[in-house]
Amino acid sequence: MQAETDTVRGRVDIATSRLSGTQMALGLALVAALGFTLLFVQDPMVHDAMHNFRHGAGITCH
Amino acid sequence: MGTEYLERGAVAGLVGGLGYGLFQATVGNSFTAGLETFEAGHSHGGGPVVDGLTTAAVSVGGGVLWGLLFGIAVFGIGYYFLEPVLPGRGVTQRLALAAAGFLTISGAPWLLLPPQPPGVEQALATDTRMALYAGMMAAGALVAAACVVAYRRTANRHPVATAAATALPLALLSVPVALAPANAVSGPVPPALAAAYRWTVVFGQLGLWATIAAVHTWLGEPAIVTESTPHQVRAD
Repeated sequence: MQAETDTVRGRVDIATSRLSGTQMALGLALVAALGFTLLFVQDPMVHDAMHNFRHGAGITCH
Repeated sequence: MGTEYLERGAVAGLVGGLGYGLFQATVGNSFTAGLETFEAGHSHGGGPVVDGLTTAAVSVGGGVLWGLLFGIAVFGIGYYFLEPVLPGRGVTQRLALAAAGFLTISGAPWLLLPPQPPGVEQALATDTRMALYAGMMAAGALVAAACVVAYRRTANRHPVATAAATALPLALLSVPVALAPANAVSGPVPPALAAAYRWTVVFGQLGLWATIAAVHTWLGEPAIVTESTPHQVRAD
């Protein structure tokens, strides 16, 4: 174990004290949006345009 | 909090993503397109709605964003929060995180739904497969966390015992694999070629994670900035 301050809880405390709720929500939303688009969007245009990428990354696409 | 952490994660992800985009441009696109020549009609309900050049370009861009996403989410945000519990120091921590990321994003879902070449008909519907894929991502994350817990509990034992205990939670993944509905596949691509494609995908993803981990290590330890000690640097 490292110093008392260096725990996951300590990191969470630092993050929550320095970031506003809006900032955290915005960051998570951006990451989630990017991940969802790359992995799961099945719109025909998105699907076909990313066809090779999804096969190449082993994502179950169709 | 540590914008330095986010920046380093993003830089590592961008470098890894550019490398993976290059891999997609040189290997992934051509390999996928080549395998499509085995099938008579690619059954997407009326042929592709975008031309091949667009697919190639967007797929390369998708590869870059894929690396950037891993870099920001796993090595920017994830490393910031998990650094205190990751095993070892330096490159070991990064490789542990990369392995956990690979298991979550790809490894665990592939146990149920391995990468398939184009043109394969699968027994399960797309929605079912996406739900299974998402569920196995959650299972992979839980198992990765269990591996870390097992490592920390046994870190003082003999290295062989530690290694065995760390790997043991991986066996839990056999439970959802046994319970999930079977996904029979059939396709026009010869089995040996399909296997080669599958392993190309596996090594492509492993290479991406390894690159991000290596670049992230090379960038060094970010300083953790707190309210009380604005310039505290971790003593290594």
